[in-house]
Amino acid sequence: MRSLGRYLLMRTLLTIPMIFVLVTMVFIILRVMPGDPVKASIRPGAPQEYIDEIRHSLGLDKPLYVQYGEYLWDLLHFDLGTTLSPVRGQSVAEQIWQHFPATLELSLAAMLVTAVVGIGLGAYAAHHRRSLADYSLRLYGIVIYSIPVFWLGLMFQLVFGVWLGWLPIAGRISSLSAAPEHITGLYTVDSILTHNWPALKDSVLHLIMPAMTLGLYLSGVFVRLTRSNMLQVLKMDFVTAARARGIPERTVVYRHALKNALIPIITMLGLQFALLLAGAVLTESTFSWPGLGRFLVERITYRDFPSIQGTVVVFALLVASVSLLVDILYAWIDPRIRY
Amino acid sequence: MTEPLLQVEHLTVTYETRQGPVRAVDDVSFTLQRGEVLGLVGESGCGKSTLGMALLRMVRPPGKITSGRILFQGRDLMQLSEKEMRQLRGRHISMVFQDPMTSLNPLQRIGDHIVETIRVHEPKVSKKEAWDRAAQLIQRLGISPDRLKDYPHQLSGGMRQRIMIGIGLALNADLIIADEPTTSLDVIVEAQFLDLLRELRDEFNLTMILITHNIGVVAELADRVAVMYAGRMAEIGPVQPIFHNTLHPYTRGLLASVPSIRLEDGLELETLSGAPPSLLEPPPGCRFHPRCPQARPVCSEKTPPWKEVHPGHGTACWLYAEEEA
Amino acid sequence: MKTNQKTKKLAEEPTSLLGRLLRGASWYGAEWYWTATGAVILAIIILVTIFAPVLSPYDPIVTVGGPFERPGGGQVVLLAPKDSGITSPEGLKVAVYYNTTASVVAEDYGMTPRPYQVDKDLFEKVRAGEAQAVLISARDAAEALQKNPDFVQVGEPFGPRFWLGTDNLGRDILSRLIWGARAVLAVAILSALFSAAVGIPLGLLSGFFGGWMDRILSLVMDSIYSFPGLILAIAVAAMLGTGVINIAIAISVVYIPTYFRMTRSQVLSIKEELYVEAARALGAKQREILGMYIFPNVVPTLVVVFSLNVADAILTEAGLAFLGLGLQPPTPDWGFDLNKGKAYLPRGYWWPITFPGLMITLVALGFSLLGEGLGEILNPRLTEE
Ligand SMILES: Nc1ncnc2c1ncn2[C@@H]1O[C@H](COP(=O)(O)OP(=O)(O)O)[C@@H](O)[C@H]1O
Ligand code: SF4
Ligand SMILES: [Mg+2]
Repeated sequence: MRSLGRYLLMRTLLTIPMIFVLVTMVFIILRVMPGDPVKASIRPGAPQEYIDEIRHSLGLDKPLYVQYGEYLWDLLHFDLGTTLSPVRGQSVAEQIWQHFPATLELSLAAMLVTAVVGIGLGAYAAHHRRSLADYSLRLYGIVIYSIPVFWLGLMFQLVFGVWLGWLPIAGRISSLSAAPEHITGLYTVDSILTHNWPALKDSVLHLIMPAMTLGLYLSGVFVRLTRSNMLQVLKMDFVTAARARGIPERTVVYRHALKNALIPIITMLGLQFALLLAGAVLTESTFSWPGLGRFLVERITYRDFPSIQGTVVVFALLVASVSLLVDILYAWIDPRIRY
Repeated sequence: MTEPLLQVEHLTVTYETRQGPVRAVDDVSFTLQRGEVLGLVGESGCGKSTLGMALLRMVRPPGKITSGRILFQGRDLMQLSEKEMRQLRGRHISMVFQDPMTSLNPLQRIGDHIVETIRVHEPKVSKKEAWDRAAQLIQRLGISPDRLKDYPHQLSGGMRQRIMIGIGLALNADLIIADEPTTSLDVIVEAQFLDLLRELRDEFNLTMILITHNIGVVAELADRVAVMYAGRMAEIGPVQPIFHNTLHPYTRGLLASVPSIRLEDGLELETLSGAPPSLLEPPPGCRFHPRCPQARPVCSEKTPPWKEVHPGHGTACWLYAEEEA
Repeated sequence: MKTNQKTKKLAEEPTSLLGRLLRGASWYGAEWYWTATGAVILAIIILVTIFAPVLSPYDPIVTVGGPFERPGGGQVVLLAPKDSGITSPEGLKVAVYYNTTASVVAEDYGMTPRPYQVDKDLFEKVRAGEAQAVLISARDAAEALQKNPDFVQVGEPFGPRFWLGTDNLGRDILSRLIWGARAVLAVAILSALFSAAVGIPLGLLSGFFGGWMDRILSLVMDSIYSFPGLILAIAVAAMLGTGVINIAIAISVVYIPTYFRMTRSQVLSIKEELYVEAARALGAKQREILGMYIFPNVVPTLVVVFSLNVADAILTEAGLAFLGLGLQPPTPDWGFDLNKGKAYLPRGYWWPITFPGLMITLVALGFSLLGEGLGEILNPRLTEE
């Protein structure tokens, strides 16, 4: 399919301006806006020479347009600089790479929860339109979205961690020595790959609450999206036609209609991914989950300027690539699409 | 006379809208014999589709069948459970919809549509058998069996409409309701499709309700014609008398709008002027009176009664009814 | 005719916001109730905000009791030896535990507290003559009297009462909730106003004039829109520092694209409408068309967006505060209180983290319900069938 190939190429090219804008935005926020990151990062009373030295090493003493040029140049080479504190001189890229698998594992698990809960309930609500269940589920969509995700996490910790004592309330694993051998960095996957069953049990137990928290938080949006898509699809002629052929209602709704409703949902995944990342930052902080979000927050307290900049840039790249990926997936799944 | 296949008695369907009830089908009665093709005509919005859906008990909400009976093979459909009704749909009564572009599941292969329908109603049939049956059938409909593996968007509108008919034939449905099956096809495809329908009618002895707003289509295919206006039945009769011995002024107006139909008695026909009424607040009396060239004072006051003017040919019009004092 | 019918139907629907609202539950069903519920919640919250000084039982930033006093707790009783003749707490030298509401109350009532470690037996101290009476939490009185039959209760329980308990610093949680509403609403509404003030004009101009400026603005706005809002706010807040205005700015950056996109798309569709074309044909100036025809039509949608935006802003503010990037302590702030309370959660202190979270949810829910309900009511496509 040459036309599909061309579409993919065009779509990829379109991602470039988006990445450019996001990266520039990060630059503006971190360098152009008021606030001196270096001064803030150093204990009051430090000698001026020391401050100047750091500023110089970061290139912050140069004119803004030079800084901007160097910033873009470094990014092109995936050079995110080195850390300032708590330890000076570590590679930011390496730090980010170390924290990435935790975020990935949490996000994937959360998306699983979201997909099951959100899509299932959304389809059910649409099927039973204007019933009590429908109204309750719509309300659920609004209420769950109004609950701060970190508070949801705290409540889970309180109930399942403290009161019932079923699940651990912090971290990815009981102790570092219990962690499985590093292959992908996803503890659950790695422990399966290495047949390390105690580690699997341990990491799954640690994963349940954070994944439920983040997943339920996102499920509200998916209930609504699925419901409204389903309502549209259920109104379509082919659904009526299927019913008129005597196909059982369940098959019509959950096989024929839902499949069709899911396709547009895939496109919306791109936007929901931003919500997922924002939620992940808060969830990670709640559960002391050693991922990118917690890394970012931790470095903010240390005022580690290069790490902050690097992490935010990585988030921007993630957003752009996921939105690209989703569009490609969409083009690939839907048999109707001919570009 | 044998028992009719379908007997509709005083059927009324109401849409409960926010502005108030809309009676899209109002006190409609007719019968249909096995092997007969009934053309159901009327301007768009007069309730034809609603009537068609009502026969399957599938009126879309907020619509509801509010009164009347539907006797199909002697059974009152209103008394059936939802499950019995479902078993009847597709198996005994099959429906072909107006827009073939949208009436097939875009993510399901053509063959799977047919196979699924066969297996829902005949669970003992294996997938393979059902697929073979589908292949034979669509070959008869002039489509290569390879196309069974295609997705709907890969087929032309005419092919898809043939597939829709094919699904009905696959199960030997007793009654096929075709709701404006040719409206969204272009003229040549429409002609081909109507030819096919005619062949199938003769070959399979189809019983069919052909819904259309184009009375010209009816002339070629139907044995009898039912004319609806604003939710009510205006005239029913065999096709010849309807065309050549027209009773209801509305039918006359409809005929006049078809250029190819010449009426023998040379009566000057006025084409219809004005728009059909809102069914929310329909005109009192005969609903056609604001547009009727022959309206009388009584027409705007009382609903004209149904009158069988000739055997098998009836109408609801004050021109043919005695006004009681 | 189906379409005729539909256009007629729409024409009969009242088009003004007020008209639609007054149509009431019979027309709009659930949506109407949502709007009403949201409005009621918000009305209560706003009243609470206005009357915070009156409603708040204590000063929210001052230690008024012991740490982690349970909800409903705080009252103390005076237990004196039998036949001691003590009838009033005034001027007594009393034995209390450290860090309890009793030690705070003792000073308020002019007693001299002799605080002891928790494991020391207060009653022994009284018997040893180091203090005249024991002042303990009312909750523990019955058990203490049973163990020490030589003591009796003097008078009724007295002292403060903390309906929602106290936090780790012995501050009244209820008072902090009430005052916290002020801070949260101030930040959220301010930030929504900032976003609107930037996003709406840009959207109007961009949509109305089009051209390359429109394309660039759209690209920038879409990019920001696609970026996780909280992370953006974190970055801005980390640079700007704390304070109501700074936090409000940090949050507002996130939601400018929402206003921009909404306004722009509305302008694009309204621009094509007949009456705007007509005004143009009659020689109306660009500025007039924009101000007199287009802007007023965008307003109802913006009301919805604003309401939803405030809900989002509340959650973002809470998130920032939870991460330690919120208002400057000791300003009462729900998100910050959750941050602090989190540390004590493993010990089972549920009340410091339960109530602030409930409040955030409630206020965000109020704005969401209002926005959602209004949105559905305003949007005939969704409500019509
Ligand atoms: N879902 C609905 N809600 C309200 N009214 C409807 C609905 N569907 C159809 N109607 C009304 O019923 C009347 C008949 O519609 P329909 O049966 O589709 O007519 P036709 O098929 O003859 O064009 C129309 O006038 C329309 O106003
Ligand atoms: S009843 Fe009267 S108005 Fe109606 S069709 Fe007959 S003549 Fe015309
Ligand atoms: Mg129709």
